[in-house]
Amino acid sequence: MKTLLQVVCIAELAIALLLLIRLARGPSVADRILALNTISAQCAIAVLFFAAFADRSSYADVALWMASFSYLAALIWARYLERGLL
Amino acid sequence: MTLVVVAVLCAVGLFFSLSAAVGILRMPDLYTRLQCSSKSITMGALPLLIGLVVAEGPITAYAGRALFVGLLIMLLGSATAHALSRAAYKVGVPMWSGSVTDEPRQPGSVTDEPRRQADS
Repeated sequence: MKTLLQVVCIAELAIALLLLIRLARGPSVADRILALNTISAQCAIAVLFFAAFADRSSYADVALWMASFSYLAALIWARYLERGLL
Repeated sequence: MTLVVVAVLCAVGLFFSLSAAVGILRMPDLYTRLQCSSKSITMGALPLLIGLVVAEGPITAYAGRALFVGLLIMLLGSATAHALSRAAYKVGVPMWSGSVTDEPRQPGSVTDEPRRQADS
């Protein structure tokens, strides 16, 4: 079971690394926001699986924080893109 | 038995996450990439989180957080995709040259705001 959790954690990080290519060369700002949002969702899941693997329940709170604030950040970026800073 | 269920759920979730990443890399257009991202993230993240709940048991510190993360992803993922596509369309991110229709640009449509220039 521990091995399975570890494999999922590492695979999610590999998927996030794959998405870094789109983050680096996305032609528009919205592409980069999309790639960053997807990367943070994957990283939140990876942290959650790492918490279960390492048996440290305080890391699960980190995953919760990452998931909620990544979507909040993407919403605020979209609003900034649409109508400026305020 | 539990291990088999968790392995199948994790395999499904990882497959959909990987297909989302490949779609985001390979799709020609921001809007198609958004569609890949939102649908496959939901379909890829939820089996992984359910697998974690099955692995750890329903009344543990991890299962509660996993279910809450799943709820957040289901609620906020679609809202974020909608806000991002709307903002990108207003800013003027170009569509793929093979797109067949541009619905808000049709005559008689509700949205008649002019598109700004792309600032990429």
